Amino acid sequence: MKPRLAPRLALHLMLGGGALVMVVPFFWMILTSLKSRADIAAYPPNLLPDEWVWSNYQAALDYAPFGTYFRNSLFIAIGHTVINLMLATMAGYALARVPFRGRTVVFMAVLAMMMIPTYTKIVPQYLIAKGMPFFGGNDYLGRGGYGWLDSWWVLIVPGALTPFAIFLFRQFYLSLPRELEEAARIDGMGEFGIFARVMTPLVKPAIATVALVTFEGSWNNFLWPLLVTTRDDLRVIQVGLAAFQLAERTEWSYLMAGSTLATVPMIVLFLFAQRYFVQGFATAGIK
Amino acid sequence: MTTTLESVSVASANRAPRPPRRRRLGADRRRAAYLMLAPSVIHLVWWIGLPVVATFGLAFTHYDVIAGTIQWAGLDNFREIFADDIWNRSIWHTIIFTFFTVPVAMAIAVFIAVLLNQQIRARAWYRAAFFMPHITATVAIALVWMWMFEPTLGLFNLLLDRVGVNGPAWLSDPDWAMPAVILVSIWKGIGLKMLIYLAALQNIPHDLYEAADLDGASGLRRFFAITLPLLKPATFFVFIVSMIDAFQVFDQVYVLTPDGGPANSTTVMTYEIYRTAFSEFNISVACAQSLVLFAFLLVLTVIGRRLTGKDADEA
Repeated sequence: MKPRLAPRLALHLMLGGGALVMVVPFFWMILTSLKSRADIAAYPPNLLPDEWVWSNYQAALDYAPFGTYFRNSLFIAIGHTVINLMLATMAGYALARVPFRGRTVVFMAVLAMMMIPTYTKIVPQYLIAKGMPFFGGNDYLGRGGYGWLDSWWVLIVPGALTPFAIFLFRQFYLSLPRELEEAARIDGMGEFGIFARVMTPLVKPAIATVALVTFEGSWNNFLWPLLVTTRDDLRVIQVGLAAFQLAERTEWSYLMAGSTLATVPMIVLFLFAQRYFVQGFATAGIK
Repeated sequence: MTTTLESVSVASANRAPRPPRRRRLGADRRRAAYLMLAPSVIHLVWWIGLPVVATFGLAFTHYDVIAGTIQWAGLDNFREIFADDIWNRSIWHTIIFTFFTVPVAMAIAVFIAVLLNQQIRARAWYRAAFFMPHITATVAIALVWMWMFEPTLGLFNLLLDRVGVNGPAWLSDPDWAMPAVILVSIWKGIGLKMLIYLAALQNIPHDLYEAADLDGASGLRRFFAITLPLLKPATFFVFIVSMIDAFQVFDQVYVLTPDGGPANSTTVMTYEIYRTAFSEFNISVACAQSLVLFAFLLVLTVIGRRLTGKDADEA
């Protein structure tokens, strides 16, 4: 049933007002990133830039290595997504389709790990990274050096697998009919072939969901890269932005240009793949 | 649904006796399954299992990270942190922060979700607008708000100036820094809560409302008598997810109000853990603080479960 005209108008007014509040910061960010310095200090302020200073972006890129930060973030986010998809599909499949002793225990452990808060593990995670034997000047017991700190290893490996992905894939593989794998088995296909060529093509929605959620989590991650990297050439964009702000507190147009670079990829991805995001976050949510 | 499928497959696994060829096949399949599971299990044990155990262990020791020495400490670390005024204040700040960003924001979110559940045009666009802050990076978005909170040129004080109010210094004012951080966090978190509620609302059968219409129930009555009770499982889920997030808030606090904010007015538990572990390198004390945070989450989860009833399991 469709609401009548007057209530419908009220509805649009309320939702429109709310939606406006939600998007104003994004527009303000983009508008500020295109204003000149004089324009930003103008009083009373202008809503739109006096002149559209597109060169702010080039200037921001020259000012701080946002290009490097951006590339690092992209590389790490893609790495996390690919590794997570590969490992979690295999694990989810094994947990869903192959009966073996201890399967329930493993699955329960995965569920429990989904619920573990970040702060219950982050300090020892740092110590493990620092104590990685034979890396960064460490001896075989992990003493003496910096281990994995300030390396690509530490940025990629620890965050590359999420229990949530295993959980989601297991649920999807469980829902597939048994006849499919039996037919493939009669055709002489091995277990891995059944997994890779028969079952996995059927869980594409789960793959899209996990890929997007993983990419988003990795691209927006701040705490871990902040803790484990100090080198400028290993900085990810979120850490780079925070560092730039601490160094240059008043360069608002450059800061907003950097923020725009850091948010636009996710916004574009979101607008194109809303359906999978919605599906993923309505079931996931937990960090 | 999960349990039925599981019991079916378990039943077929236990079906005995089997012909020899099938048993060989079972062994082959199991070997394949172990191989497929191995990388994940190793990764999870190494990067989650081990650290969790270590957090619990280290909290009861004196661990010197530089000298590499370790000795039993009993409850020393816990006594030490609760004697620390700033830590106690950070707990209080976390609770205030959680109150405004969880129950208050949940009420707003359920309201928006009900509005969005009507059949109106541009619904997907409204939903996207409300959800967008959730998927964008907290750091970048915090910088934008920092700019809007700027005392002289920021959007807020310019607008307040228009209506003749002299706006506060927001992030550098001890009285206003926390409200500012809370405002940003409500704005950022409302989308996810709304989305989960919306998904739950769409599962409520329509004939319930039609029956209520026949009985002449008002809109408000329908909301409190039908919608809200049926949203119980979703409410539990939203509550848990948001609370875990709120207690672990870090990014926006770190960026908006560095160093615990003006006069430590915005320091939260996570920030104190960060400070203890990574600028004072007091690992054991930081682990004790982490356990306090963990205990809070555990207790609140149990309370949430009680309040929303046992049928909330499907979340």
